[in-house]
Amino acid sequence: MKFSQTYWCKEFVQLFLCLCSSFVLFAANDNDTTQTSTREQAIAFVDKISELQPSIYWPHIKPALFLHNLKENVHQPLLLYEGTNTNFCGYAALSYLFMHDDPLGYTKLMLQLYTYGKAKIRNVSFQPSQPIKDVAGNLHFKGALDIRPVEQMWFLCLADHFKGYLNFLNTHYDPGDENKLWASVNYGKFNRMAKRLFNYKVNAAGSDLMRPYIHDMYEYLVNSMKQGITVLYLNNTILRKKYDRIKANIPSHYVILLDIQKVDDDLINITYWDYGFRTMRQLTPSFLNKIIFGISQCTIKKANEK
Amino acid sequence: MKNRYPYYILFVVVCIASSCTTVNITKYYSKHKPVLDSIEQTYKTQYRKQKFSLLFTDNKYKHLSLELLTDSIRYIYDFEIQETRLNDTLEKYHLDLSSMKLLIGNMQSVHCKWIDNLDYYVDEKKNYLVYMSMRKKTLRLPFVEPKYYVLSYFSQPQYYDSEGRLLDHRSRKRLRKINNEIFYRVNDKVCYTVSTLFR
Repeated sequence: MKFSQTYWCKEFVQLFLCLCSSFVLFAANDNDTTQTSTREQAIAFVDKISELQPSIYWPHIKPALFLHNLKENVHQPLLLYEGTNTNFCGYAALSYLFMHDDPLGYTKLMLQLYTYGKAKIRNVSFQPSQPIKDVAGNLHFKGALDIRPVEQMWFLCLADHFKGYLNFLNTHYDPGDENKLWASVNYGKFNRMAKRLFNYKVNAAGSDLMRPYIHDMYEYLVNSMKQGITVLYLNNTILRKKYDRIKANIPSHYVILLDIQKVDDDLINITYWDYGFRTMRQLTPSFLNKIIFGISQCTIKKANEK
Repeated sequence: MKNRYPYYILFVVVCIASSCTTVNITKYYSKHKPVLDSIEQTYKTQYRKQKFSLLFTDNKYKHLSLELLTDSIRYIYDFEIQETRLNDTLEKYHLDLSSMKLLIGNMQSVHCKWIDNLDYYVDEKKNYLVYMSMRKKTLRLPFVEPKYYVLSYFSQPQYYDSEGRLLDHRSRKRLRKINNEIFYRVNDKVCYTVSTLFR
């Protein structure tokens, strides 16, 4: 009996020590925190590169144009452009998060993809298919995206790798698919990408079909912006008045909320980022409620946060 | 029992007639050429002072949305045409009031819904074209999307194929698409398309 008590006591101490050590290991695990860097670090890194060799993996990407585009993105991240008539807005919003919080990581990942034709970030391995490699650098008639090979390569890789339910009918890239369901991003997919790629803590409210029920949208957005970067999932046909008659009341566009201010009780000024620009617009609270289908609050995860 | 066949027949005839309306934008362009060209010229002149685009947000052409593009931010304002706020804003951004009134009036007269300056790239060089959309006058039927005549004004003469389709380059290998649409020749510098999208 005495032996048994001593044995269990020892076992308990061992188990306790083991748990403690694993806790320390867990706490020290870098994979559990959101990787961050500063723009200065990214600028110092990219400005040292004076020339790139042509990549055998991306036959249509011109090295000089790629480097110029990469440097421009690091120096002026707001210029990132998703292109006209593409479904790349979700990927552009995601890239804003990446460039905002980890510009050095972004720069290294783009160079890795360009040089080796594949890249890894956290547990996600990008191995773009051959049609993607063939078309990157060769997209035309998309506005400034025509001369932005970094965005072309990155957005195509993201669309090729991540699939949501909207992509199931068109999983393989064919020319012109950047405008179609192949490139579209449903709300769940967007949040999943933000978590898996960058390890953000994502608080999401909303869905693809129903608007979130939020009593005071203005207060909610103000509080959300205090916590982290806020991504809005909007009905763009109403916001930008693309059609004379609204086709369907569904969201189709991702923007980054940069500022929100109440002018008086009837009007709200919102400033958001999309299409390579900041846009300031005055809206009524009811209009704001009408267009917002999703609010994703992306905050940097510290050690051990779930 | 009342015979309803004539009504059915009439409905079918109206549907067929509206769907078969021939698109003769060249005729439309020659008829409205002075106004359309004036819109383009006035817009270009004012655009040089301040980058902007104009959108009529209602079918009566009484409300407009003014998008002003500065170096760092794009402002979108909604106005009723008679509002004094509109004049204040135009003045604030150094746009000429009488020219802008002329532009707005001309746009109303030809039902031009949207005007913008679009950038496009040839050999990695940025070029601009003036893009304007006019509501096509047809019967408004339920479940039928309204269509627009879209005109593109280029600064330089363009290349077209034997069918009059706009080409992207002097090599004449590929069709140039603007807003994902193929455009057709009106003259060397102006081309058109018919689209359900006006912007």
